[in-house]
Amino acid sequence: MSGEISVSHNENETTISIKGRFNFEMHSQFRTAYQQTGDGGTDKSRKYVIDLGGTEYIDSSALGMLLLLREEAGANEANIEVTNARPEIRKILETANFQRLFKII
Amino acid sequence: MNILIVDDDRINSTILSRLLARDGHQVLTASNGVDGVACFKKEQPDLVLMDVRMPKMNGYKAARRIKDMSVDRFVPIIFLTAVTDEEGLSACIEAGGDDFLTKPFNRTILQAKINAMRRIQELDTALRRKTFELERHQENLHQEMEVGNHLFTNIVRAGNLQDAPCLRYSTSPMSVFNGDLLIASYNPAGGLHIMLGDFTGHGLSAAVGALPLSELFYGMTAQGFSIGDLAEEINAKLYTVMPTWITCAACLIEVDYRQKVLTIWNGGLPDVLIADSSGKIVHRVASTHFAFGTIGSDPHLRKVEILEMQDDFRVFLYSDGLIEANNSEGAMFGQKRLENHFDGSIKPADLLDRIREANDQYRGETKQSDDTSILEIDCAKAGEEPPGGRQQTTRKDIPASDWQVSFSFSATTLRTVDPLPTIINAVMSLQAPTGHRERIYTILAELFSNALDHGLLGLDTKTKKTPEGFVEYYSQREKRLAALEHGEIKLHLCHKPLGSEQNSSGPMVRGGEIAIRLEDSGPGFNPNDVHSSLESNLGHGGRGIALVQSLCTRLDYHGCGNVAEAIYNWTHQ
Repeated sequence: MSGEISVSHNENETTISIKGRFNFEMHSQFRTAYQQTGDGGTDKSRKYVIDLGGTEYIDSSALGMLLLLREEAGANEANIEVTNARPEIRKILETANFQRLFKII
Repeated sequence: MNILIVDDDRINSTILSRLLARDGHQVLTASNGVDGVACFKKEQPDLVLMDVRMPKMNGYKAARRIKDMSVDRFVPIIFLTAVTDEEGLSACIEAGGDDFLTKPFNRTILQAKINAMRRIQELDTALRRKTFELERHQENLHQEMEVGNHLFTNIVRAGNLQDAPCLRYSTSPMSVFNGDLLIASYNPAGGLHIMLGDFTGHGLSAAVGALPLSELFYGMTAQGFSIGDLAEEINAKLYTVMPTWITCAACLIEVDYRQKVLTIWNGGLPDVLIADSSGKIVHRVASTHFAFGTIGSDPHLRKVEILEMQDDFRVFLYSDGLIEANNSEGAMFGQKRLENHFDGSIKPADLLDRIREANDQYRGETKQSDDTSILEIDCAKAGEEPPGGRQQTTRKDIPASDWQVSFSFSATTLRTVDPLPTIINAVMSLQAPTGHRERIYTILAELFSNALDHGLLGLDTKTKKTPEGFVEYYSQREKRLAALEHGEIKLHLCHKPLGSEQNSSGPMVRGGEIAIRLEDSGPGFNPNDVHSSLESNLGHGGRGIALVQSLCTRLDYHGCGNVAEAIYNWTHQ
C-alpha cells in the first residue's frame, strides 16, 4: 500500500501533493514529479511546494527523497516549502531537523 | 518452422507437406504413432500435426507421449481429424492437443492456425526466459543479502554490546537483517560508547553504510576520541560515500562511570528518555542534530548534551520503528503510549520488558513495517566489568626502554583541537603495557583536563556540586574555551625500564616507570584542594585528582600549583 502523487505547475512554481503513505515505494514517482519541470531536469530557479496535507505516514526514505530534491534544486540555494503537514509528520520532520533545511509551513 | 506430420494416410500427408513446404516450413513425416514419437524425440520439431486413428499407436496416446517429453518448452500439437462431433474434438484437447484441423484441409485456415501457434510459442519462450531471469535475480539478490547479513552481523559482534553488563536490548528486523545498528565499545579510560543507528531503508543499503560507520566508531573509541569527535567524523564519512537520500539517524552516548557523566549526541532519533528509581522520566534528550549524512558540515555538529549520571538512572534509546509500529487498523503505537509506561507504576527494572510486550501486543499479527530496536542502559551497572574483561586492542607489547617525549600546546591549538587523543596515541604506540593502558590513559586525561579546565580556563570544581551547577560548568567550559587567547600547556614524559634481572640471555626487564610532568601557564591550584582524599571527593565533581593520586606511585604539585608531577610504575602482568 503506497500513496498517490499529483503535480501542478505554474510559471515559477511546482506543487507536489502526496496523499496516503509517503514511503520508499514512491521513490521513482516522486523523482519523476519534480523532474518534469524545465527541460526534463530539475529547474534550480523554481520554487517547489511539497504539500503533505493528505499524507498519512512518512518514512526515512521519504526524508531521503526530500534531501535529493533539495540537492537537485540547488542545495543551499533551493527554494522548497513543505506545507500542511499534520502534527505527527511535523514531529518526524523536526526530529530530523528538517526545519533547518526546508521552509516548513 | 520445423513441422512433424504424423498421419497414416499418405495422400493427406503429401498434400500437407506440399502446403507447408510452399510456406517455407521444413517438414518431417511419420506414418504411425510409434514412429511419430521416435521422430519427435530425434528431430525435436517445433510443431506437430497429428492424425487421430493410426495403426500401432493412436494420435491421443502419441500426443500425450510428446507432451510428456517436452515439459521445458511449448510444442503445439494440432490434431487432424475428420470428426466434427463435440466429443471427438474435446478428446483431442484432453489428450494434450492445442487445436484441431478438420479434413479436408483449407490452406488459409492451416496457415492461420500455425501462425497462432507460433505466437503462443513465442509468448511461452519469452515467459520462460523471464521466469528464468527472475529466478536468477532472486538467487543473486538472496546471495547478496547473505553477504550483507554476514557483514552486518560481524560488525555488530565485533563490539562489546553483548558483554557490557549495563546494557539490555532487543531488536527485531523487518527484512533478512536489521537496518538498525546497535554497537558499543569501551574507550581507553573504561568509559562505554554506545550507538544506535537507523539507516534509511533496510537491508543492503544499511549494511553498506554500517561498514565505514562502525570502523570509525570502534577505531576512534579505542583511541580515546570523544562522542563529538566521533559524530563529526562519521557524518563527514557518510556524507562523502553514501548517496544523498541515504542517511543514518543516530544517537551516540558515552557512559563515564568514573566521572559520573552521561554525554549524549542525538541526530534524528526520537527523544532519549532517562528514568530514575521512581520510574518516571527525569531527563529527555531530543534530537538537535541532523541524521548522519544529511549535510556535509555543520558548525554545531560537535555539540553534545552533558548530564550528571545518577546510579539509579536508566537510559532508554529506541528507533522510530518502536513508536511507528502499526496495529491492524493502521494506527501507530505512538510516543504517548510509550511514555505512559513512565507514570511511576512500573518498577524501573521491568520497564524495558513491559514496553516491549506492549509494543508486540499492540502490533498483534500486523506485518512489521520497520526495524524496531530498544536499548536500556542501567547506570547502576555502568562500572561493572564485562564477563571476559575489557577487550584490549591487540597491540604487541614493546619491551620497556628509555625514551622521552615533550609536547607544547598554545591557546590557538587548544581552542581548535582536542590534543589528548593524539598524545595518548603517541604514548600508547611507544609503550602500552597490557593491563596498564587504561590507567595511563586516565592519569594523562585527568592531569590534562585539570590543567586546561582549572589552570587555563579558571573553572571551579565547586560549581559542579549541584546538578544545575554541573550543567553550568560544562556550558562555561565551552564558552571560555572558545574565547581562549593566551596560555600554554606543556607535557613532558620520561620513561625508563625498571627492575632488570640477570638471566642467561642477559638482563630481563620486568617493567618500567613513567614520569609525567604537566605544566600550565595558569595561576595554579590551592594545594589543599588538590590533596583532598578520594572518599571526601565523591560529590558532584572533582574526583579527578584523587583518582590520579590513587593510581600513581606519587603525585606532587610544584610551583604555585601549576606544575603536576606524577610517577607511574608498571610491571608485566
